[in-house]
Amino acid sequence: MSMHTSLRRAAARISSSTSTILPTGLPASQVKTTTFVCSQCRHATLLRRPKRPYTFTQLITLSDGSAFTHRTTSPAPVYRSTRDTRNSLLWNPSSSKLMNVEDDEAGRLAAFRARFGRSWDANAPAAELASSGDTKDAATTKAEEEAAKAQAQAEQEEEDNLLDLISSFGQEEPQVSGKKKK
Amino acid sequence: MAVRESSRYLARAVPRAFAPSARPQAFLGRRNASDEAPSRRLSDQLDELETASSLTTAVSDSAAKSFDPATRAKGRKTQLPRSRYQFRSPKYDRGPLHPHQPPPPSDPSSRLFVPGPFSLPRAEQTYNSTVASDILTLCYVHTPPGFKVPPKAPRLREWDDSSPYHKNRPLRGPRGGDVLRLLRKPIKFNNIPEIERITVHSYVKGAAQENSGWLHVAGMAVQAISNVRVETFKSKASVATWSIAPGRDTVAVKAEMHGETMYHFLGKLIDVVLPRIKDWPGVKGSSGDSSGNITFGLEPEHVAMFPEIEVNYDMYPPKMIPGCHITLHTTAKADKDARLLLSAMGIPFYGKIVQ
Repeated sequence: MSMHTSLRRAAARISSSTSTILPTGLPASQVKTTTFVCSQCRHATLLRRPKRPYTFTQLITLSDGSAFTHRTTSPAPVYRSTRDTRNSLLWNPSSSKLMNVEDDEAGRLAAFRARFGRSWDANAPAAELASSGDTKDAATTKAEEEAAKAQAQAEQEEEDNLLDLISSFGQEEPQVSGKKKK
Repeated sequence: MAVRESSRYLARAVPRAFAPSARPQAFLGRRNASDEAPSRRLSDQLDELETASSLTTAVSDSAAKSFDPATRAKGRKTQLPRSRYQFRSPKYDRGPLHPHQPPPPSDPSSRLFVPGPFSLPRAEQTYNSTVASDILTLCYVHTPPGFKVPPKAPRLREWDDSSPYHKNRPLRGPRGGDVLRLLRKPIKFNNIPEIERITVHSYVKGAAQENSGWLHVAGMAVQAISNVRVETFKSKASVATWSIAPGRDTVAVKAEMHGETMYHFLGKLIDVVLPRIKDWPGVKGSSGDSSGNITFGLEPEHVAMFPEIEVNYDMYPPKMIPGCHITLHTTAKADKDARLLLSAMGIPFYGKIVQ
């Protein structure tokens, strides 16, 4: 044991120090002690072989007939799905087929809504009601012109906003939600 | 210049006899016997050249017909002997100073080697073909030529030297809290966010309260849905109402998927499992750890909708099927980018989107 330590220390001395004379005759206490970064570990760790569950190739057939294969632990060769991204409303928000639309052929529900409807289910928009009574021609034309102008301006602004939104997507750092400021 | 260069190289390349010598030998008074040697004569050197080309040689028909390596290999009764030396990785890792080191896990002879990938999953193809380029387009920020980005304030602030004790102190943290967020660099072609790994985690409180059967069932269910072996974990926190003590009870299972397995799981989750959940609004918009990892949870009845569990549902005790938390770890540095990626892959988000 002692022989080993002395050897190691001597080796470390050679590698670490730039002194030309090797202190061979010095006792161990006077030799500079070195700490090894790479310490020897005496135990052996077992290298376990990784365990992987057996997987099969399965064909998934979606509800619209499209199919793809994937690896799975289930042994069934084919999986037919009845409800998936192709026919669920969350993934197809604009599909009228998937929305539960009420059929109102006689127009009774619409009539009810026109009479008793409040803000969210009101059928008639407020603008229609307002424009129903037209009194002065000049005033209305002026108002229409102004409205058209305002609308054009609003459209322009909206476009600018959209362009801003697109161009400023990746710009700024996510805002740190700091409540107290120092 | 070029012509002169080439002539110099040519002189070096052709044998001595062809090359024009620099010094005119005729004017030298000295003569060597080797000048007259037969090997130096031009005609002899040309005689040594073979006139026949190897390209014109014909293979005999019988030899060509008898050459059939496939049938020869089939007709072989016994296997060919293996090569003499086959490396076997050491069974134990005996530390960095041991002379017999195990090979790296990427080496097929290593004991830790996992072969693969063997397939190209659909979700990965989608990502590579469409999603990556879409994200790159969406995150493009045009800067006019000559535009210089205004310098930002340093993330770690200096101390104002109002006190002598400020000397040699480590830098101050950012304003408004001690959390130092990840540095978000502009998204370019080489740092498009992608999904790094998926973790399925399930905390089974019944494992501590009743028996270990809960843990076994949860482990089998998570392994079935994720295609990888699960790890178990002991509790870190003490929950007095569930009588769980830290370090005593094994309460959780976790499966971690990378690469091919991960994309298979993601495709299955998005295309088959999530649409089947009744009245599922999507992933909450405020989820995420603000460094690009999004987590959402599935109830036990939703976990039972995975095709692997559905195919032999009777194997699992119906009460013991666990719920789980699914964490999607992405390489995005902010939740905003991670949500962009995941919604492009087909995961819906609802509610207030917190960036």
